[in-house]
Amino acid sequence: MSSVTGGPPASESQASGEGPEPRARSFDTHGPLARVLSLREGSIIVVAIVTAVYFSLETSNFLTGANFKTLLPYFAPLTILAAGEVFVMILGEIDLSIGAMYLFSPILFYKLSTAGISLVPSVVIALLCCMAVGAVNGFFTAVVGISSFVATLGMLFTFEGLSLIISHGAPVNTPGAEVHQTTVKVEHVVNGHHIFLTETVNHVGTFAKIFGAGTYSEFIWAIVIVFLLQTALTFTRWGLHTVAIGSNKLGAAEAGVSVRLITIRNFVLCSLTAGLVGILEAVRAGSVQPDPSGANEILFFAIASAVIGGTLLAGGSGTVIGALIGALFLGILQDGLILQGVNANYKLFYLGLAIIVAMTVNVYVQRARRGHGSG
Amino acid sequence: MAVADAQPIETVVPPTSAPDDVLRVEHISKRFGPVTALRDVNLHLRKGEVLGLLGDNGSGKSTLIKTISGFQKQDSGEMFLHGEPYRPRGVDDARSQGIDTVFQDLALIDELSVYHNMFLCREHVHHPIPLLANRRMKRETRTALDEIGINIPRIDVAVARLSGGQRQAIAVARTVNSDADILLLDEPLAAMGAKEGSMILDLVARLKAEGRVSIIMILHNYVHVLQACDRVSMIQDGVITLDKPTNETSVEELTEIVVNEYRRAREQERSERQAQG
Repeated sequence: MSSVTGGPPASESQASGEGPEPRARSFDTHGPLARVLSLREGSIIVVAIVTAVYFSLETSNFLTGANFKTLLPYFAPLTILAAGEVFVMILGEIDLSIGAMYLFSPILFYKLSTAGISLVPSVVIALLCCMAVGAVNGFFTAVVGISSFVATLGMLFTFEGLSLIISHGAPVNTPGAEVHQTTVKVEHVVNGHHIFLTETVNHVGTFAKIFGAGTYSEFIWAIVIVFLLQTALTFTRWGLHTVAIGSNKLGAAEAGVSVRLITIRNFVLCSLTAGLVGILEAVRAGSVQPDPSGANEILFFAIASAVIGGTLLAGGSGTVIGALIGALFLGILQDGLILQGVNANYKLFYLGLAIIVAMTVNVYVQRARRGHGSG
Repeated sequence: MAVADAQPIETVVPPTSAPDDVLRVEHISKRFGPVTALRDVNLHLRKGEVLGLLGDNGSGKSTLIKTISGFQKQDSGEMFLHGEPYRPRGVDDARSQGIDTVFQDLALIDELSVYHNMFLCREHVHHPIPLLANRRMKRETRTALDEIGINIPRIDVAVARLSGGQRQAIAVARTVNSDADILLLDEPLAAMGAKEGSMILDLVARLKAEGRVSIIMILHNYVHVLQACDRVSMIQDGVITLDKPTNETSVEELTEIVVNEYRRAREQERSERQAQG
């Protein structure tokens, strides 16, 4: 596991613990806890666990299977969004347009589907359009030389606006996500008598089950995507060159890394994952909501997940696994606050405070792990 | 950097060539906005030769190296590799044609391990799934570093943790370890202690004895130049002003040229100031 979660090799080497050479740092000989902490995302793992333990002590409903299912839609979409964003952030860039892709792709999917194209091809075309937008983001950043913050902010507004224009601002039902209800007679035994009662059962199609409506659908998408992208980041030339560009752009270029190509490719990936989440969420909810403010909130949570998970805004360092744990932490916070019965008006307030407190703890855990005080 | 309308230096080396040239550079010029880095550079490199390139800060040495290495394009002039026109489209392209470079800033990635840096852009991957062949890269890195004789205890640590000399050694080892037959070394001894420096010079001597590769090396220390190089070229104000076999020159002559150049530049500055005043 350590070699998978280790991300860039600096931490991989510390966690792997092989070889007779003297250890470069003092902590990494001290057993399993120190090993977890030596991972880049180690400290946030500890913070997430502490948060989960707190809520399970405070509320009896937290550690239940049912609650795990309610937790899923909080963190699975964020995980996928943050996983793509990590690839851009390691470059030292940022992609704000994921909010727009999240909004735009289900609307485009709806338009294509109602124009008579069948479901899966509609999804594919919508995602290809998102990838094209990503390529444009990458072009503006890597070739034209506009700061990615500004370029993707422009694209965020442009495509949120375009989403409102083509949807006329009206919510629609997601194609392929229709719910069919059937009634079945279920046998019950009451006082030794067998009686039959009618119950209503909801059905969704196979397409919807795969693309977000199934209970574990988004979760499985998230796990598969995290696995693939973390593998790409740690064990392929693409991942290595991504870290190289973020760490030393000039040096990477001198060594022959094609900075422009990798930058464009990572923006394409980021837009693709955002577009996919948009469709998954629309299918899960059963409706497409042209709501830019909701999309912007998702955008902030996704970037927060990546940063909380240890990805540096300055680039050169980060992991996809960290993004997953960051999203999980945010999901636990939201879900736990709801279970505690926090007044809806206070929820955001507490959420904000909890993030600040947790991140402060995180910094101190990191310092302890490094064995000195320079954070 | 040289000023565009600087007075021409008296002795400018014209294009010269030898029958066994692997690389020829003719009439290369390069400007960066108002600054002319290279005015008219002529240079040739024979097979198996070690050419020392001398010059003050801002004389255009690094610009010349970056042009040959494919990192940037010249404004005018031509380069020839083994007699054929040589127009690299990038560092990768130059490398595929057999020219590999140690840049002045070393082009190392702090976040990556020693062995990933050694194989940056030349990574070994498995087949058919192209995952990094880390074990093979570690093994070959260890062998390469041992051959050079550089002591780097752990090759799986990030290069950020290594000393300046160790980092430089890795950058040199990376280039020497490539399949290139022309090596460009931009100040390969800059951050090194005496021991590490002599190790690199030994390495260069060994490569010279093997005769497979040809080397252009930027150095600051004249003693090193006379010790390690077959021939020395001096670049001043964007032109080559001296081209001599090292056994026909001396530290004294090289020093004199530089001092004269310094005097000339000061006089010119003074006359310009008078003209303005």
